[in-house]
Amino acid sequence: MLSVSHLSKSFNRRPVLANITFEIAAGETVVFMGKNGAGKSTLLRILARIMACDKGEVRFQNQDLLKGAPTARKGLLYLGHASGMYSALSAVENLSLALRLRGMHTSKEMIIEALTHYGLFDQKDDPIAIYSQGMLQRLKLTYAELAEWTLLLMDEPFSGLDDDGAKLMHDAILQWKSEAQSLCLVLHDEAKGKLYGDRILRIENGEIQES
Amino acid sequence: MFLVLLKKELYNEFRSRELILSMLVFGLSIILAYAFTSDVSRVIVANYAPGMFWAMILFVTVLGIHRSFSYEKEMDAFSMLIAAPIDRGLIYLSKWISGFIFLTVMELIVTIPFFKFLLIDFPPNPLMALGTALFINLAIMAVASLVSGVAMRARLSEVLLPVLMFPLVSPVIIAATKISGGIMAGDHYQLWQIWLLIIGSIIVIFGLVGYTLFDFITEE
Amino acid sequence: MTLFFQNKTNRIWCLAVAGLLIFNVWNIVSNTPMVPDQHWAQKIFYVHVPSAWVGFLSYLVVMIAGIMFFIKGDDKWDDVGLAAAEIGTLFMALVLITGPIWATPIWGKPWIWEPRLTTTLILFLIYIGYFMMRSFGGHIERIRRYAAAVGIIAFVDVPIIFVSVQFWVPEIQSHPQVEMAQQPSGILIPFLLSLGIFTILYILMMRYRIHVIRIKNMGVENV
Repeated sequence: MLSVSHLSKSFNRRPVLANITFEIAAGETVVFMGKNGAGKSTLLRILARIMACDKGEVRFQNQDLLKGAPTARKGLLYLGHASGMYSALSAVENLSLALRLRGMHTSKEMIIEALTHYGLFDQKDDPIAIYSQGMLQRLKLTYAELAEWTLLLMDEPFSGLDDDGAKLMHDAILQWKSEAQSLCLVLHDEAKGKLYGDRILRIENGEIQES
Repeated sequence: MFLVLLKKELYNEFRSRELILSMLVFGLSIILAYAFTSDVSRVIVANYAPGMFWAMILFVTVLGIHRSFSYEKEMDAFSMLIAAPIDRGLIYLSKWISGFIFLTVMELIVTIPFFKFLLIDFPPNPLMALGTALFINLAIMAVASLVSGVAMRARLSEVLLPVLMFPLVSPVIIAATKISGGIMAGDHYQLWQIWLLIIGSIIVIFGLVGYTLFDFITEE
Repeated sequence: MTLFFQNKTNRIWCLAVAGLLIFNVWNIVSNTPMVPDQHWAQKIFYVHVPSAWVGFLSYLVVMIAGIMFFIKGDDKWDDVGLAAAEIGTLFMALVLITGPIWATPIWGKPWIWEPRLTTTLILFLIYIGYFMMRSFGGHIERIRRYAAAVGIIAFVDVPIIFVSVQFWVPEIQSHPQVEMAQQPSGILIPFLLSLGIFTILYILMMRYRIHVIRIKNMGVENV
């Protein structure tokens, strides 16, 4: 479904990723691990088309992701470290906007229902500027739940979550796995990596070591 | 999709009320500075009024457009925006048109104190003044949104923005001053219509360049 | 990567350009006719106009390099753009210095809002911003893109700036350069020679500067 070939990226001519080649099959969960600064987040941002790469080809659902039309990335959902939402808007407004940008018309009721499930009902109309890190993480999780995607790219899904939140995230990931959705996660916890990943790819010195 | 983006800009402003308000307050303080520095007397100020007005608008624009791009950076919302399956040129268009709306609203409010505090007579043909002002606002914002798209994520963007924008926008300022000067003096349309042409060409050229370049400059 | 002047052809090139520049000065001083009212002041025309030509040419190169950088995504176009921006700004500075030197005896004041000179000044200011952005640093990959964009925007703006300044002060039409074209051919040939020599100098400077920028970047790579 996603095939990355010979991808490379350097920052100020210092290579971060060199010759990255891998594939993700439909329904597969791939976990990326590696030291801080190994280039895991960079790789995800390149796949999300937020960052440009120097060389390489990425094909997603038989379309050229890097050179193709914007609609080629429709099936991709990227959730990074930051919430990627507007601090002045409420959770409902943010989700509604983010979903509209993906071409979805989700009803307000559905959004509120999902927010309730992830424990954000009370703050649903507050500007997200006042949200804590864990609440923002829950908001992202709600977004992933509501959006249509075939491949989810998620950077450190567990950071900032309390035990309840972590449980919700855990359930959501297992749910997606059981629905045969494809996931691509960046994790630093070995145990979690083994738990969720069908495959673990380690990025070392800009290259992939499979284990 | 453009409308979704535009609605987002308007909603953001409606919720935070940061942009128009700060532009307005800044505009008023500039008027105050004008009043103190120009020894308000009818004749002198009236001659320079068009230039003073557009210089004020230029300063205010920098403030507004800076704010418009900095809330994109706050929670890295810009990443979500550029990762979305949309044509990135539309992001430029939404910034441009929303900026145009905010600037126009601010301008309509600030015009009254500008004329009243500085003891300037209203132009003989207010509708024509308004129509041309809308056109000029469109041109100023076409340049400003493109320049801030470039400068915003560089370091010290608040310094870079005016430094890059003022020289680039100079044709608009020349044209705006000439048009408003002509209207204030009650000149015939044919005497200043050439400037409308220049404004029009800026709108078209910067619109096209901005729409095309945004796809390249938003990616890192 | 070897140093620029370790290459024999480059050394010959450099000597040849130096020779041409000396010849140019000699040619201007002794072989051009004196213009009646202007005397020696007019001689700066042979430096002023070719500098302006090289400056604008260089900024055109910045734009082309910017477009190529976006299309190809290759850092070498950024090197070309940076080199052209530096050299272009150098020559624009020369224009802004020689302009007033020429203008003072002719117009009686150092600065007149003449369209060509004004356009040069505005472009020069835009490029000051360009170098500020480059030197502030930050996310280098982004800065490269932004620099390319500024190069494109700046050059696209040139005709608009020129036309609007021209209409802004319609009184100032008599640029000495225009009058020069009506003078006897004794002026035209040395002028074209000077133009050619400046262009050759520009090509040499570009090659040298790109070389230096590449060496600098290699230094960064090996840190």
